[in-house]
Amino acid sequence: MGEKRFMKGNEAIAEAAVRAGCRFFAGYPITPQNEIPEYLSRRLPEVGGAYVQGESEVASVNMVYGAAAMGTRSMTSSSGPGISLKAEGISYLAAAMLPAVIVNISRGGPGLGSIQPAQSDYLQATKALGHGGFHAMVFAPNSAQEAADIMYAAWDYAERDRNPVLVLMDGCLGNIMEAVDLPPMREIKPEDAPEWSLSRRNGRDYQGNITPIYTEPILEGINAMAGEMYKAWEEDDVKVEEFMVEDAEYIIVAYGIASRVSKEAVLNLREKGFKVGLIRPITLYPFPKKSIRNLDYDRVKGIIDIEMTIPAQMREDIELQVMGRCPVYEYGRSGGCLLDDDGVYDAIYEIITGGDR
Amino acid sequence: MKQSFVFSGSGGQGIMSAGITLAHTAIDMGKHATYLPEYGPEQRGGSAKCTVVINDAPIVSPLPTRCDNLIVMNEQAYRKFGEDVKPGGVLLINSSRIPAPETRDDVTVIAAPVDDIALELGSPRIANTVLLGILIGATEIVAKETLALSLEDKFKEKKPEILEMNIKALDRGIAIGAQHKLKV
Amino acid sequence: MAVYKRPELIADAPSGYCPGCLHSLATKLVAEAIEELGQADNALNVISVGCSALNILYWSGDFLSVAHGRAPAAATGIKRTNPERLVFAYQGDGDLAAIGLAEIMSAANRGENFTVVFANNQTYGMTGGQMAPTTLIGQKTTTTVYGRDPQTTGYPMKMCELISTLEAPVYVARFALNSPKGVNDARKGLKKAFRLQMEGKGFTFIELLTNCPTNWKMTPLQTLEYMNTNTIPYFKPGVYKDKEAQA
Repeated sequence: MGEKRFMKGNEAIAEAAVRAGCRFFAGYPITPQNEIPEYLSRRLPEVGGAYVQGESEVASVNMVYGAAAMGTRSMTSSSGPGISLKAEGISYLAAAMLPAVIVNISRGGPGLGSIQPAQSDYLQATKALGHGGFHAMVFAPNSAQEAADIMYAAWDYAERDRNPVLVLMDGCLGNIMEAVDLPPMREIKPEDAPEWSLSRRNGRDYQGNITPIYTEPILEGINAMAGEMYKAWEEDDVKVEEFMVEDAEYIIVAYGIASRVSKEAVLNLREKGFKVGLIRPITLYPFPKKSIRNLDYDRVKGIIDIEMTIPAQMREDIELQVMGRCPVYEYGRSGGCLLDDDGVYDAIYEIITGGDR
Repeated sequence: MKQSFVFSGSGGQGIMSAGITLAHTAIDMGKHATYLPEYGPEQRGGSAKCTVVINDAPIVSPLPTRCDNLIVMNEQAYRKFGEDVKPGGVLLINSSRIPAPETRDDVTVIAAPVDDIALELGSPRIANTVLLGILIGATEIVAKETLALSLEDKFKEKKPEILEMNIKALDRGIAIGAQHKLKV
Repeated sequence: MAVYKRPELIADAPSGYCPGCLHSLATKLVAEAIEELGQADNALNVISVGCSALNILYWSGDFLSVAHGRAPAAATGIKRTNPERLVFAYQGDGDLAAIGLAEIMSAANRGENFTVVFANNQTYGMTGGQMAPTTLIGQKTTTTVYGRDPQTTGYPMKMCELISTLEAPVYVARFALNSPKGVNDARKGLKKAFRLQMEGKGFTFIELLTNCPTNWKMTPLQTLEYMNTNTIPYFKPGVYKDKEAQA
């Protein structure tokens, strides 16, 4: 293992990115993710990387587009309002088949919303990160440690697929400090630049071109290839934590910070003899469909979607797998009001003892 | 055993720094800890609050509704969060700024003039270290020696007098806390 | 011995530009300047959106095609990670002076070490001749059918003048491609800009006044004359900033 450090989730993301080989960052200040650019503005020059504070989120993501085209492991980070502005560039990354990592440390929405934490960007992340009907893999870590681990692997997925990867985490986890076991520094040499990239450091001596624009029969083929890739993700790349699900009569589905408060509630309810369990999607896209579809609905009496946003946004993905075989309930806090242990416990208790919500 | 702490007051009182030091020390002792800050949009003088959870096992939820130990550094924080400590818990009050707290008989109230003590020891900025001392004197949640090492690390770039002053503040706090020794 | 030949950086293919369009001449001048500096293999063309995007069809060197207005941002990412490359963005007036105004001004202000070639033909060509930020007062377009009215649409943006007020840029110049002299000056200006970039001097900006026979609804010859009587008096050719000469 590497080294243990007590650090913020945002800092864990930044340091793990550097260790994964990220050598370019561009971003624009927005709370609650500022520790990421601040950290990288100091750290990247130490490892021969480049940091640019863009004039906007729009510009920043396009700087990443340029750096990614050169085969440099590149990233940007923001929060909801800024991710909306980056939507253009993320769509272009997908179109030009460029790998990059986008981090969203989410806050209350819509609009300027609130600088306080919220899980308000599930739908944006999983359904439409930009125009044109594309998807990115969406990871939702629930601790500083998992954030570091996911960042460390993120470019491997992005480069494998030549597609952007989104890491979605709320402001609570961005600002929480926990002990993090950091992964070792990865050595990425200039000659390792991918063969498709515009770099000439890898010895390429023929014309290289990358474009997000295609003529019509080619674009249709590219769309179809993307469709096949999304299907493959569902087979190969779903990550999910199932906790005390085997005998559970009520299943909580929660990701990120909500999953931690929910797990606490599951432990406390189990102590009282209630058969509850937790399904925690770690990849929000691909969504862990099978975990919910294949539950024994003779046993399961209800599914409870707990999110730090109102109304619940993951609910429709859950309902598509439940297919009416049991009721789906939801509980949440929103607008920068945080979930808390008693609130979640009481809400679940009320639902499983006959209340409705 | 799991213990939660809420430090509250206003920006500039060393609230966040006290929370980080406590959590960091717990981790140095091989425990698990989370530190979660909450703040408003103001850069200075707004309210400051942070939550620390310490446990021998990994921390599941970092968001307790009510805490085992509440530290209030000013009147405003006391009014806002005074009820957020669990029955049986500890309420640590900065009596330099909260002269007449309403008493709660279901919690252990420790009132200490930490601002005045800090001034007496040389700087208003070490009030938070006095607080930490009281906390460990009363609860023994972390070892004094480990906390002193954290402080050493924290102030290693500064003048040696600053560390010295902080160690004094820690000792004074521990002495006060020891009078309220609790089982944790 | 060939005394005149197609630059290697230009593919042996139709340009896609309308007959009489000066975009093809501008692209050729860029290619020649790069080749004269021996940088053909090292050059990277950041292709913007608009008629300039037709470069995709016949630029045979390395290129990255990017979003509308964002070429200076993408070029920043390229150059910061690959400083040894000769990087230039080729942008039209809508791309650069409207939707991409923040990107061009900010890249210029940061003193990014690349070159922006700005083709100013006072119209949105590819979308069918709408008003551009550089459309002249009184000039008719599909969105200013009675001529551009400054009361509601303001005045044509003078990009060289704006950029030359910034501290960082090292070379800012405008050339008109409607005369042999203008073409020769442009050739020298482009070469100087690329040379300064390769010397690591900083941001260079070359504005090329071009035409649009199709959307101006004129013959190519008429457009050249229109440029003399209308465009050039407003957008005055010349060197607006030259740190090297000042030094």
